Amino acid sequence: MNVKLAHLLLRLYPRRWRARYGAELADMLVGGQSDLRTIANVAWSAMHEHWNPTPGLAMDNDGIASRFESWCVKAPWAMFVVAPMFLLAASYSIACLILWSGWNMFLPGTNTPFVRIDGLAGAYFGIGRLLYFGAPLLIGWVVGIVATRQRIKAVWPAVGLALLALFAATAQVQANRPANGAGQVSMTLAQSVASFPASLSHATVIFLVCALPALIWRLSRVRRA
Amino acid sequence: MAHYSDPPLLVLASLANGPKHGHAMIEDIAQLCGARLGPGTLYGAIGRLEQQGWIEPLEPEERRRPYRITAVGRRVLRAKLTVLHQFSKAGLGRLKAI
Repeated sequence: MNVKLAHLLLRLYPRRWRARYGAELADMLVGGQSDLRTIANVAWSAMHEHWNPTPGLAMDNDGIASRFESWCVKAPWAMFVVAPMFLLAASYSIACLILWSGWNMFLPGTNTPFVRIDGLAGAYFGIGRLLYFGAPLLIGWVVGIVATRQRIKAVWPAVGLALLALFAATAQVQANRPANGAGQVSMTLAQSVASFPASLSHATVIFLVCALPALIWRLSRVRRA
Repeated sequence: MAHYSDPPLLVLASLANGPKHGHAMIEDIAQLCGARLGPGTLYGAIGRLEQQGWIEPLEPEERRRPYRITAVGRRVLRAKLTVLHQFSKAGLGRLKAI
């Protein structure tokens, strides 16, 4: 393998690991093949070493996983409430962007993008729909599972999940095209008083679905103990 | 047919008959069970085994550093292989019974 490539791959490893095994691994890489499989193997092992560092070589705050865990303990409100809301807002923004761009690309003459459409355009809108409906569940599952795995007290994850569910249940996408203008896509949270019971039951369902995997995990852990 | 792949166990088994450096371990393991470990996988296993005290580094020969199995590593290897042996014996016995 090319010396430069070998050193580039070594740079992917954590500093402490590199200091101990870098020279040996570099020697092996330079003397060996430089096929895609070897490159992928080394890159993957380096990433794994960040997430799950070799115990004796990791400082307390070395490794992405350790740093992540320490933030979960230090600032649970940020990790389980602010970060999920930020992620959901980002997902919704991307979903709206997909809707808006798809509308202008595939349906330039229509007054609404919410029409039945097949083929490539259908797949494009499908990605946006998947993001819109899937993001709250996916983020909620991650929040629940991370909190359970790290044995965080349930208060902040529960607050995060409740806000996430409320946000997901009350969010509405609106699309309109002014006369002689380009289509506009916006998102609102405001709901009429009449629709409040429906939104609340929708939020409860999202909350329960998000919390379910973590709940099952906690129960199985209690049973094992 | 899938190859058996438990990198730390393969490294321990490779070092059971004497010290070896990385290149030699890869070749030996390939002969032993047909699995060819990637360099990243091999050094990931070496790192963990060394930190657990199951293998230890020797003085480098030229630029290559050989490793040898420790007494604890030998005991761990024997225990793991015994379990595997019992497992395979039981599994094969069940197949014969069919």
